[in-house]
Amino acid sequence: MSSRMLGLGFLSPAIIVVSLFFMLPVLLTIVFAFTNMSTATGIMGGAYQINSEQLRTLSDTGVSAETVEKLEAAGFQINEAGLVALADQFGQNTADELRDDYFGETFTARRDLERLLRNLDEPIRQTRDRKDAADLFTVTVIGERFGTEEQFRTALSETGIDAADHDTLITYGYTGWVWTTSNFELLLELPSTLRFAANSAFYVVCTLAFNISFGLFLAISTFYLPGRLANTYRAIWFLPRILPPVLYVLMWNWFTWDNGFIATVTGWFGVAPQNWMLQTTTRAWTTVILINGFVGASLGMILFSSAIKAIPTSMLYASEVDGANRWQQVRHIILPQMRWPILFMTSYQTLSLLTSFEYILLATDGGPGRATEVWALAAYHTALNNYGGNLQYGLGAAYALALVFIGIGLSVVYLRLFNFKELLAKPRIEQ
Amino acid sequence: MKSLIRTSALIGTLAALAAPALAEDVTITVWAGGSNDGDSYRIEAIEIAADLLEREAAILGEDLNITVEGRRDFTGWEEFKQGITLGAEAGTAPSIVVTSHLDIAPWSQAGYIVAIEDYVDLDSWPLNNVYPNLMEIASYSGTQYGIPQDAESRPFFYWRETMTQIGYSEDEIDAIPDLVASGEYTLANVLADATKAVEMGIVEEGYGFYPRVSNGPDYAQFYQSFGGELIDPETRKLVLDKAAMTEFYQFFVDAVAAGVTRQNHLGTDWNQWYTEVANGRAAFWHGGTWHYGRYAKEGNDDFWGTIQFSLIPAGNENGRANTITHPLVYLVMDQEDDRIEEIASQLIAIATEPRLNSLHAIKSNHLAVAKAQNDVDLYRGNRWASEATEVLLASATAQPNHLQYGAFSEAMFRGLEAAWTGVQTPEEAVAEVEAQMRATIGEDLIVR
Repeated sequence: MSSRMLGLGFLSPAIIVVSLFFMLPVLLTIVFAFTNMSTATGIMGGAYQINSEQLRTLSDTGVSAETVEKLEAAGFQINEAGLVALADQFGQNTADELRDDYFGETFTARRDLERLLRNLDEPIRQTRDRKDAADLFTVTVIGERFGTEEQFRTALSETGIDAADHDTLITYGYTGWVWTTSNFELLLELPSTLRFAANSAFYVVCTLAFNISFGLFLAISTFYLPGRLANTYRAIWFLPRILPPVLYVLMWNWFTWDNGFIATVTGWFGVAPQNWMLQTTTRAWTTVILINGFVGASLGMILFSSAIKAIPTSMLYASEVDGANRWQQVRHIILPQMRWPILFMTSYQTLSLLTSFEYILLATDGGPGRATEVWALAAYHTALNNYGGNLQYGLGAAYALALVFIGIGLSVVYLRLFNFKELLAKPRIEQ
Repeated sequence: MKSLIRTSALIGTLAALAAPALAEDVTITVWAGGSNDGDSYRIEAIEIAADLLEREAAILGEDLNITVEGRRDFTGWEEFKQGITLGAEAGTAPSIVVTSHLDIAPWSQAGYIVAIEDYVDLDSWPLNNVYPNLMEIASYSGTQYGIPQDAESRPFFYWRETMTQIGYSEDEIDAIPDLVASGEYTLANVLADATKAVEMGIVEEGYGFYPRVSNGPDYAQFYQSFGGELIDPETRKLVLDKAAMTEFYQFFVDAVAAGVTRQNHLGTDWNQWYTEVANGRAAFWHGGTWHYGRYAKEGNDDFWGTIQFSLIPAGNENGRANTITHPLVYLVMDQEDDRIEEIASQLIAIATEPRLNSLHAIKSNHLAVAKAQNDVDLYRGNRWASEATEVLLASATAQPNHLQYGAFSEAMFRGLEAAWTGVQTPEEAVAEVEAQMRATIGEDLIVR
């Protein structure tokens, strides 16, 4: 019993970290994806209001014409109830003057009523007081914001709206987010969805192929170098991974920009200066794949190098005695023993490439013309980047959720395909 | 001893009673987006206003103590807006923000901001002196949410020397703004002249017409140049005019085909862009009124001798010469304590004082928000401010405050990008924009 508790105790930091930084984001993504959440709805819930902008589409909701008319009618009216309250708070004289000269009059905007209160013979002098006084004559809910459904319902009753329409108006006037599956319908409907998916597939396959083959090449070639030289080379090739992404991509920009390194050097040979990153779709893809490829290849190199070192040197010596050349050693001894590291890198990199977009964001930002916009970047753009200000959190989460499912699906496929059970069974190298 | 205790007890009681009644300490935080050193008066005007409000309170016998904390060191609009919205969700939003008027629609719907009209008298000085069209831009659904902080406009620029070299006389160059306004000099002329400039070798290929490098209000101007309308004034629905959109895209495709604009122009570094246009590397370009100051910083200290400006020319007979003003606005954010909202609103009203706003207008090369600023020496004495106000502001329109405008503008720009870079033809791009807009904007969209 106590040892079990001890085990749990040791595990608890991991459990906390996993639930905080892995489970919670996934759960939130699922929740967000089934809402219409955006900047306009807010995240923490909403209030109730119907503004004049919404009035135009109110009749489409099926409320009675009488209700629409009532809501559209004047917002403020000099009536008895208001006058009594006014007399109480701001003096009988002001109330009397209003009753005598303006009883029954209506005002669309509060500003008009405020103007009147300001210009009376017995004016209400303070701005704040005028606003409070004007509010006493409110006869509409338009433009008012109500914190709870109850307040809104009360206000609807007080302004004489037919009770039959209350529920419709409450749904209509709710400003917060609601549950919906429309994000997924929208994804199916949008013409860009397919393109982003195709872009993602292209990006992952090409980058992966580059990552693995270049990583392998680096690992094998440095394996045959003398120790110190090999380490120096590995350190250099590791730079892309340890450089901050912003700096790393900035260097690529300098390298490929109109007045950058390539343009300058090719300029000596009479090639007109041009942008080697964004000029054409092919170039943009090449740059994007190389930028990500070098980062991935450096990790592959480290992993593969250590895997090669684990191969008993006796096997290599034996093969040399048998007259094998370097290529034959690679082909028949090293590569067969590298199956597991390669499989691991492939599955790990597929999943991380699927969701990574930061290097693309910094380099091409999905350009030119969204040609390099991958699925993850589209999720980011939708949920967190919008010039007009209304960010679509729900739709962005739907994009991301699709990725989560693709990731899980691919993991299952990899597990099946590469038979990870076998991998975990026994260290094969010592058999 | 006894009396000493009694006295100190008395003093203690008095102090305890007096202190809360007399002194009121309020901290007002101001966050300004898209602001650099030149825009410091977006915050400093609030500081000056705080001093004035404290004095007004003192006269009324109140001890009001306002501390203004300003912040404008954001890496971009994105960080700023994320900071604001997340802060508002967490209840730690600043008291005042200076931001795009387009944020009013979503932020008011979300309850992040409160209507300034609840706290200030719009009929009293200086708010009753602000240009009505600018006040309109700072309102949404009939409610005055914000107060314009500055005005600007987005003119079309011409490099005088290049114009001379392709055959225009000084007088003809001077007459261009009028010809543009009357629709006699159009984007077709721009394209022809830019082609000439490139062919004659006066500017390099790709530098005939050198547009803005990222999405922004500017591109909606070209849509309007070809007869496009952003919003239907009757129904308040957004409008996709397919013919206008296609021709607008086609113009940029033609410019690329003629070699006057680079196909990969979008995404060019802003600093590089400013240096190039300020020093005559491009024949035609477009930008904002605040560029006046930026060009000087880039080493061009003879704006009037080197550059001509006008409205954005019309594209065809359906369109008109136009310019979009994209004022930033002061907004008051929802606070737990209404008193903060009230003081913040009053500070904004005071900061709109013509003399205070002129400090910002002249320092940052923006335009006035209030009529009386034309009578403030500092403003009137500035040639750029007065001429730009005269040529541009009268014809200026604004993008609509509409919940779906972000989706609209994003789709419009993505379509332009696809056509411009040759990924799609203008027709294909418009078809996709239509599908995108129909799906995302739905009932709030009219397709023509």
